[in-house]
Amino acid sequence: MAFPHRPDAPELPDFSMLKRLARDQLIYLLEQLPGKKDLFIEADLMSPLDRIANVSILKQHEVDKLYKVENKPALSSSEQLCFLVRPRIKNMRYIANLVNADKLAGRTRKYKVIFSPQKFYACEMVLEEEGIYGDVSCDEWAFSLLPLDVDLLSMELPEFFRDYFLEGDQRWINTVAQALHLLSTLYGSFPNCYGIGRCAKMSYELWRKLEEEEDGETKGRRPEIGHIFLLDRDMDFVTALCSQVVYEGLVDDTFRIKCGSVDFGPEVTSSDKSLKVLLNAEDKVFNEIRNEHFSNVFGFLSQKARNLQAQYDRRRGMDIKQMKNFVSQELKGLKQEHRLLSLHIGACESIMKKKTKQDFQELIKTEHALLEGFSIRESTSYIEEHIDRQVSPIESLRLMCLLSITENTDKAAGKITDAFSSLAKRSNFRAISKKLNLIPRVDGEYDLKVPRDMAYVFSGAYVPLSCRIIEQVLERRSWQGLDEVVRLLNCSEFAFTDMIKDDKASSESLRLILVVFLGGCTFSEISALRFLGREKGYRFIFLTTAVTNSARLMEAMSEVKA
Amino acid sequence: MDCYTANWNPLGDSAFYRKYELYSMDWDLKEELRDCLVAAAPYGGPIALLRNPWRKEKAASVRPVLDIYSASGVPLASLLWKSGPVVSLGWSAEEELLCVQEDGAVLVYGLHGDFRRHFSMGNEVLQNRVLDARIFHTEFGSGVAILTGAHRFTLSANVGDLKLRRMPEVPGLQSAPSCWTTLCQDRVAHILLAVGPDLYLLDHAACSAVIPPGLAPGVSSFLQMAVSFTYRHLALFTDTGYIWMGTASLKVDVGDMAMGLVSRVCPKHMCSRPRSKERAVVVAWERRLMVVGDAPESIQFVLDEDSYLVPELDGVRIFSRSTHEFLHEVPAASEEIFKIASMAPGALLLEAQKEYEKESQKADEYLREIQELGQLTQAVQQCIEAAGHEHQPEMQKSLLRAASFGKCFLDRFPPDSFVRMCQDLRVLNAVRDYHIGIPLTYRKYRYKQLTIQVLLDRLVLRRLYPLAIQICEYLRLPEVQGVSRILAHWACYKVQQKDVSDEDVARAINQKLGDTPGVSYSDIAARAYGCGRTELAIKLLEYEPRSGEQVPLLLKMKRSKLALSKAIESGDTDLVFTVLLHLKNELNRGDFFMTLRNQPMALSLYRQFCKHQELETLKDLYNQDDNHQELGSFHIRASYAAEERIEGRVAALQTAADAFYKAKNEFAAKATEDQMRLLRLQRRLEDELGGQFLDLSLHDTVTTLILGGHNKRAEQLARDFRIPDKRLWWLKLTALADLEDWEELEKFSKSKKSPIGYLPFVEICMKQHNKYEAKKYASRVGPEQKVKALLLVGDVAQAADVAIEHRNEAELSLVLSHCTGATDGATADKIQRARAQAQKK
Repeated sequence: MAFPHRPDAPELPDFSMLKRLARDQLIYLLEQLPGKKDLFIEADLMSPLDRIANVSILKQHEVDKLYKVENKPALSSSEQLCFLVRPRIKNMRYIANLVNADKLAGRTRKYKVIFSPQKFYACEMVLEEEGIYGDVSCDEWAFSLLPLDVDLLSMELPEFFRDYFLEGDQRWINTVAQALHLLSTLYGSFPNCYGIGRCAKMSYELWRKLEEEEDGETKGRRPEIGHIFLLDRDMDFVTALCSQVVYEGLVDDTFRIKCGSVDFGPEVTSSDKSLKVLLNAEDKVFNEIRNEHFSNVFGFLSQKARNLQAQYDRRRGMDIKQMKNFVSQELKGLKQEHRLLSLHIGACESIMKKKTKQDFQELIKTEHALLEGFSIRESTSYIEEHIDRQVSPIESLRLMCLLSITENTDKAAGKITDAFSSLAKRSNFRAISKKLNLIPRVDGEYDLKVPRDMAYVFSGAYVPLSCRIIEQVLERRSWQGLDEVVRLLNCSEFAFTDMIKDDKASSESLRLILVVFLGGCTFSEISALRFLGREKGYRFIFLTTAVTNSARLMEAMSEVKA
Repeated sequence: MDCYTANWNPLGDSAFYRKYELYSMDWDLKEELRDCLVAAAPYGGPIALLRNPWRKEKAASVRPVLDIYSASGVPLASLLWKSGPVVSLGWSAEEELLCVQEDGAVLVYGLHGDFRRHFSMGNEVLQNRVLDARIFHTEFGSGVAILTGAHRFTLSANVGDLKLRRMPEVPGLQSAPSCWTTLCQDRVAHILLAVGPDLYLLDHAACSAVIPPGLAPGVSSFLQMAVSFTYRHLALFTDTGYIWMGTASLKVDVGDMAMGLVSRVCPKHMCSRPRSKERAVVVAWERRLMVVGDAPESIQFVLDEDSYLVPELDGVRIFSRSTHEFLHEVPAASEEIFKIASMAPGALLLEAQKEYEKESQKADEYLREIQELGQLTQAVQQCIEAAGHEHQPEMQKSLLRAASFGKCFLDRFPPDSFVRMCQDLRVLNAVRDYHIGIPLTYRKYRYKQLTIQVLLDRLVLRRLYPLAIQICEYLRLPEVQGVSRILAHWACYKVQQKDVSDEDVARAINQKLGDTPGVSYSDIAARAYGCGRTELAIKLLEYEPRSGEQVPLLLKMKRSKLALSKAIESGDTDLVFTVLLHLKNELNRGDFFMTLRNQPMALSLYRQFCKHQELETLKDLYNQDDNHQELGSFHIRASYAAEERIEGRVAALQTAADAFYKAKNEFAAKATEDQMRLLRLQRRLEDELGGQFLDLSLHDTVTTLILGGHNKRAEQLARDFRIPDKRLWWLKLTALADLEDWEELEKFSKSKKSPIGYLPFVEICMKQHNKYEAKKYASRVGPEQKVKALLLVGDVAQAADVAIEHRNEAELSLVLSHCTGATDGATADKIQRARAQAQKK
């Protein structure tokens, strides 16, 4: 399975350079505080840091002990303390408490705060208000792009969504612009830019300003990536609110993929401990099933298991020399594959146990009904029952949001979801859906094994709106003819196309497209665009502020977590 | 050409010295040079004259005049000296004029007589006065050393970063030393002074006596001393008429020689010729100038006028009232070419080219001669180099022509040295012009500190913007380093022209600068503001494309509101925040809030900050805006976060509810009031029944009551809060099943017709693994869910029957998917048969 790319599909640029850059900069910063030091790391930064520099690299640069920044007093006895944090006010208070406690105890140590990806004036001001600005030295670790996979860059800023879309705080836009600037310095400018949404437009303009200020060196570079597409998450909440059914999305919904890796519990590993597994293109088994509809995955895996067995079995008829060859060359690979296979089979079983029950089928059915806009009454009573049974408040809210957006309703359900529907402005989902043909007409069964359009990521019931917009714009190379859609999306002022007529762009680079999701994207959207790429001979590269899913989206909006 | 070497004077066996005129000075001096304090800057820098210095015979009431001229005598500035008596003048490396006053104050003036700043050489000097002062140059910058009336020395090695060092006392020093100088060794400034027959070296820590090795005996006093430009060599002039020359470390002597008496000495060491070991010192008397070296013979010149000597890196400049001359050792390349009867390849090439121009076949002979020796490359190089050392453009041209001629016969001669020499000479000739008056030699320009950047800076300092731009364009310097920088300087000068209106200045600057890259309008605006022209500064800032650059200056100029909108425009939240805090301190609270109100982006930023840091301010913000919805949410949050006591929480909720009413959000208000009721009730329940009730949801409260067996109260609560029937049924069902109170459950199921049907009963019982109870309810499930219920309790066969009866395809496949293994084989067949039958029909 796992459709191969067309032979003319362009090669992806090498993004590992970003990791090296970040690592070198971090080492440089650590060296700025010579001697042994304890490193305090904010919880949110731990996983990203782990992808950049492991503990032994940190130890090489004289990091003695590692602590998590949490609401507990630190017991470090080191003379030098280094804090690696996101620029948040609560972190500043934590540091201030620690420093002030030292002061009370008459203790003097060296303190260094490294802000990632950048420091904010507000943070420095809090340090000043707390009276410790002179005691700490501040630095920035401009680490804003983590390559989670060959085609996926994440800024690992889940708070971007809440800060910008809910609180109207534009602080991260600068970070986005800086990240885009870095990409264009490393991989050449982007000859074609498209975008939709207010945030996309602001990021784009700020980015352009940065480029203008520092032009010269980058101009001569041959662009490696032909198109960039910026997209605000609030253009399309519907897709993000749906339950996912492609394998990678389902794994994310079920086990929560964190920073490109997942913790498989004992029920998956069929042993007594859990296992942290990196999920990316290097995992050959995963790479073949990640974009598949879940209904195909199990069959594929069992086929794979049979093949593997056959390969093992080959050794029966071998002579000594062949056996030697087999052991030295193939066995290791087979064992590795075996291990991965059993893991994913375990994961599948676990998902099946949770999902194939009646409830999940009903849930999916209801979601599809909402998307298609029929039997609303049944859907509403399903949601009511969902509430009556107190299944999960977050889930109930999610369904109500979906109902509210798809129906643009102001009924009882809409009342509860006031906060959420105000986010989505006035949704015109029905009209947009009709205009863009998001609900494919099904003649007979939709063959999920051989998908014919991007709708396969939702069992053939719905083409993700965000992906459809990208598809349409790329086809036209502009927003022309999409005026009505743009108007319905309520962002007519913020759709833009900017073509730098650049003949230097090779035809290969023109088939590489960087899609920037401001506010997060889901694995389903990634899978859908990967599918589109294979169909049309494009390669998509994804840049997202964070990978999201329906649960994360809802949690970000609830007060409890904030 | 025969007379070209006429002004060459041999010194010893291997060196020639020549003196030629740089400029004839028409500066129209009224005074004699000896009546003035004179300071001339090195590297062909300007000359400052303080006429009529304070001398005892003059009346103190006459104000002296400070004049500044270019090296060619063009007046640059003239001002009446209004401050105290000046002891010494000197130029810093940045071409600022340092005037050391008797009271220890040092006044700093620009090239155009503009006062820059002043500093003091210490309080001690106030009483003791300054006797003597020297301005000297080190690699860090320019320093000042003074000798006070108490015969103590104080020095500062760098006036840019003023640190005064008081030097140690010289033991037994009762009168001023006969002569002294500053030395700079190992990056530390020292002072060498002579008292009678003794020499002392002063450093920061100590005073040590030193004896120059090989000094002829009988010296009772040193009359003069001088160090070379690079501080490497020292010359001492003794009262016995000898000159001692050696290294400045006083380690090696060169030998001494007899001398007549001097009136003024300016020794100069000339060690710039790499292959030459000749050292020499230039000594001047009233009417006599001598170049003295190791050789027994010295060179003598007659001076017609009172002259002043300026040591340079590769020679000495000598200026008087009428002329400005340069005396230097003839560089090697020139010597090779022009020495009489020289057979050096360069000399032959020059000849060859001349003959070629005369169309004589001798050209070929000369050329052959060079080529036979294989020295053509060397010849070309010599000619190029020699061209650099010539002052006259004519001679430069003929040497370069010769080089170019020779180049034609070479296959692979890299052109850059030739091209660069042509460029350099064009630049040098341009700045040497009388009107510009910077007599730089090639050596100083190319080999030493003075790079093209510094030269451009000097032109800018002289306000020679057009020439500087021409040079940049000629040398094709990148805009940012070249033209833009000069234009920016020009603009900074332009804003100081107070007689021109703001509009005109702004327009003129914008016309010239346009969008030239690398020009910072905000820097120019800052300069305008510095000159007190705020309006002009604001106009200039309008041209600044980067809003981020505009903001700090606008804040400084107290245009905070404008700064705020510019900051918002820039999209940089940090910048916005900076302005916000500025505004917060500057304005009163009301005005501050009003300003925020018009700037939503700033407002949300500030709100975010307040949420974490200043909750009370946040409330005030909402109040100010009459934003009741947010106020309501604020109090809700407060009731959970800030309040502990139940009364406080309820009160906060009440405030919230009031706010929601004001916001016309009935739903939120009602929900809040319900929550208040619930809280009070939970409190009462806790008091009466014990256990945990507070902060449970309504649903969970009822459940807890049922689980605790308080059915009556549960019913009452459900009625009070109008829990919908369906939800209550689900609730009771779940709770009773959890209790495994099957009897009560059955009673409940029969209390009336279930609004949620009976399938949930089956499901819940199965969840508790009670198949027996489940089956009871399965029979009561309505027809449309019957199949599901039967399947749940595991009765596949009956499910199949019902499905077949219903003739429902979906149900049939559902049952089929539950048929597993052998046990259900018969059922599966039955279904298949039914299907086939249905299809037949």
